[in-house]
Amino acid sequence: MREARADDEARAEEPQAENARPNDIVVEVAGLVKQFGRATALGGLDLVVRRGEVHGFLGPNGAGKSTTLRILLGLARASAGRVAVFGRDPWRDAVQLHARIAAVPGDVSIWPNLSGGEAIDLIGRLRGGTHRDRADARAYDARKARLIERFQFDPRKRGRAYSKGNRQKVALIAAFATPADLYLLDEPTSGLDPIMEAVFDQEIARVAGDGATVLLSSHILSEVEQLCDRVTIIRAGRTAETGTLAELRHLTRTEVSFADPGAGLTDARLAALPGAHDPRRAGGRIRFTVDSDAVAPVLPALAELDAHGLEVRGLVVAPPSLEELFLRHYGEGS
Amino acid sequence: MTLAVLLRAAIRRDRVTLALWILGTALLALFAASAVDGTYGDEAERVGILRLAVDNPAILLLRGLPHATSLPAFVFFQIFTWLALLAGLMSSFLAVRHSRAEEESGRAELVAATPAARTAPTVAALLHGLLANLVLGAAVAAALAAGGMPVAGSAVSGCAVAAVGVAFLSVGLLAAQFARTSRGANTLGVAAVCLAFLLRGVGDALGTPSADGTAMTSAWPSWLSPIGWGQHVFAYSDDDPAPLLLNLALAAGCSAAVLVLQAQRDSGASLLPGRPGRAAAPPRLRSSFALGWRLHWPTLVAWCAGGAAFGLFAGGLSGVVVQATETDPDLAANLRTIVPAGGSVAQVMIAAMFALVGVIAAGSATQAVIRLRQEEVHGTAELLLSTPLGRVRWFAGYLALGALSIVLVLLSGSAASGAAVLAGGDDPSRVADSLAAAAAQLPAALVYLGALSLLVVLLPAAAAALGWALLGAGVFLGVFGGLLGIPQWTRDLSPFSHTPVVVGPHTELDGGLWMLVIAAAAASAALVAMRRRELHD
Repeated sequence: MREARADDEARAEEPQAENARPNDIVVEVAGLVKQFGRATALGGLDLVVRRGEVHGFLGPNGAGKSTTLRILLGLARASAGRVAVFGRDPWRDAVQLHARIAAVPGDVSIWPNLSGGEAIDLIGRLRGGTHRDRADARAYDARKARLIERFQFDPRKRGRAYSKGNRQKVALIAAFATPADLYLLDEPTSGLDPIMEAVFDQEIARVAGDGATVLLSSHILSEVEQLCDRVTIIRAGRTAETGTLAELRHLTRTEVSFADPGAGLTDARLAALPGAHDPRRAGGRIRFTVDSDAVAPVLPALAELDAHGLEVRGLVVAPPSLEELFLRHYGEGS
Repeated sequence: MTLAVLLRAAIRRDRVTLALWILGTALLALFAASAVDGTYGDEAERVGILRLAVDNPAILLLRGLPHATSLPAFVFFQIFTWLALLAGLMSSFLAVRHSRAEEESGRAELVAATPAARTAPTVAALLHGLLANLVLGAAVAAALAAGGMPVAGSAVSGCAVAAVGVAFLSVGLLAAQFARTSRGANTLGVAAVCLAFLLRGVGDALGTPSADGTAMTSAWPSWLSPIGWGQHVFAYSDDDPAPLLLNLALAAGCSAAVLVLQAQRDSGASLLPGRPGRAAAPPRLRSSFALGWRLHWPTLVAWCAGGAAFGLFAGGLSGVVVQATETDPDLAANLRTIVPAGGSVAQVMIAAMFALVGVIAAGSATQAVIRLRQEEVHGTAELLLSTPLGRVRWFAGYLALGALSIVLVLLSGSAASGAAVLAGGDDPSRVADSLAAAAAQLPAALVYLGALSLLVVLLPAAAAALGWALLGAGVFLGVFGGLLGIPQWTRDLSPFSHTPVVVGPHTELDGGLWMLVIAAAAASAALVAMRRRELHD
């Protein structure tokens, strides 16, 4: 009953959503709940992805990122809440929506006795736009050849012989080889080396430049920082924070710490350090955070402390990891 | 020390699989011993059957080499080659499971990274296989003795079965050195076992009959086959274990070669290089049905070959059996327990054989649908269903694949049966009987297809196990239930019990029609339910 109601609501709201924000919202999720038996994977998730943006979907492992993306693809059904992709219900209209979507699953498996090239072609042909006419076929072949070369991929090996990174490349090449309006990518760079990550970043920039919308999940903050216009942070199945990177600036502060030189460093002097946020003593160390673009002015101040006989030893300047971020802002890691 | 650890791990991992193989083989021996005792207790009857066999290459190919007319020797003639075939398959699969499959999955690297010697896993697999075959041999010997056969001859039979197993254990290990994948190694191993069965069959069929026509001396091809060597112990008459030395010599030679090769090559490498695949997909690979066909056809070929083999026997043996039943009313009665209906003995015989072709057809359909479930578990279904391919269409493609498998297996069976009838110069009307008998199997096989597709939608996690279990139960009740004296109402639970027996204009078709209705209802329900089903891991 509950599901049926969710469907009805979605149907009723569809035209309004289209009218109110014509062509602006690509993905709209509100109060999304997903239960597997008694376990609750998503407990009221909100997510809005606007047309043309690269949206980062950030959260630790097990937070519900993959479940959300599977619901957006219509592979799983929402238990409650509203889900709309291009204004349509992804469970009901999966086939029509998939004509506009390219997807990379979280854990890519391919057929053990098909070669990588065959798997790419099969997915491309099922997506359409590869063989309507000769020009189509030629354009597809050219795109595929370019991607295979850029990702340094050997398409002749059998599926069972590929490493995790190479299986990932199969899904990425298949996703980028046919044009799409929306890319749903679940941890797309897992298993890729840094050089291939750079290629991936360029492909994202290319499709975003062509006006496509990208939603990519990750548990690596720096990756999202580099690629995304806006970010949604998910924790334990709920939206923890959402906004542009500038709005989330407080989340990306660099942490500075050094061995506590003792009573000589008073709290007042500590608070006087330029740009230092949340200074505190913990575990025999002084810790504070600074905005990532304001690290440089802190360093002369620390040197000055050192010059006044307060030894600054074991200095560590570290960009925040997602784990720290969660510890700091949400009290726990998961 | 590491060897003991590896051996214990192997035994623990295989305990259920091996127990089933050994129990199944021993049960077959027990059934053979007790069934023959009941049916051919009379010396004159046995002489009659043996003379018939010596005259008929098909029986020799299928059974073995007649050597003596005593009851136990008759049992050995009837069943030994099949016990040896099972031992060979069990051992070859065991060898690949503990060598190439381990390397392919990468587990072998975990072991290789420990202080275990490079050849330790191979030695452990060899010891494990030897132990398994010892237990198998003892179980077969005990089963035969329990069936009323003399103890000494039963022990020799058990030794012969174990020796054949050990030979194919080493052949399997050698195949694993050559093939890149466990699938490839298993194919090589199974091919070697089947070749051995065939060589011995050809050698036996081409042999020289004795003066009284109740015994046969095999021709040279039998001496190229480990199963042929095992057969030449002639348990219960000669009881001569000397030919088994050939099996042991083969095992020693192959094992030595395996250890030399294993010590020299890289972990995960193979002597035969893996063939590179295509850089691009062939044009026909453009739908999920085409993909299903691509994944399924190699095994479908095997199912069709099985169907053709039974068809060959149906067509080739129907004439022989008609002769046999003229002299032996018990045999006719036995056939009637499998197929309880009117019609000529030849029609009944063909129908009985095609009941087994129907089982194979149902098996091929079961595997096609389980493949869909495997795609789902493996995660490749997610790649497909993220494209504009609907769940229902994807599912329907595999239903179509299952139905196509059934039709192809039944066609192979009837084609082979018809060819055998024509080649044997029998009554050409039996070609039509073969086609009709094959068509009659369609409803029961489709019931399995429909029921399993519904299971895959409603109980995905249990579907594969339930599918095979239902097929096994149906075969047990429907095909062998009559022989085993199981009450009719229980036998009626099996779809195979309702397969029409085509005996001309008076054929009872109701059962078949109802099964078609049930199959269609189950498949439609599955398709409707699939609309509402999520993808499960």
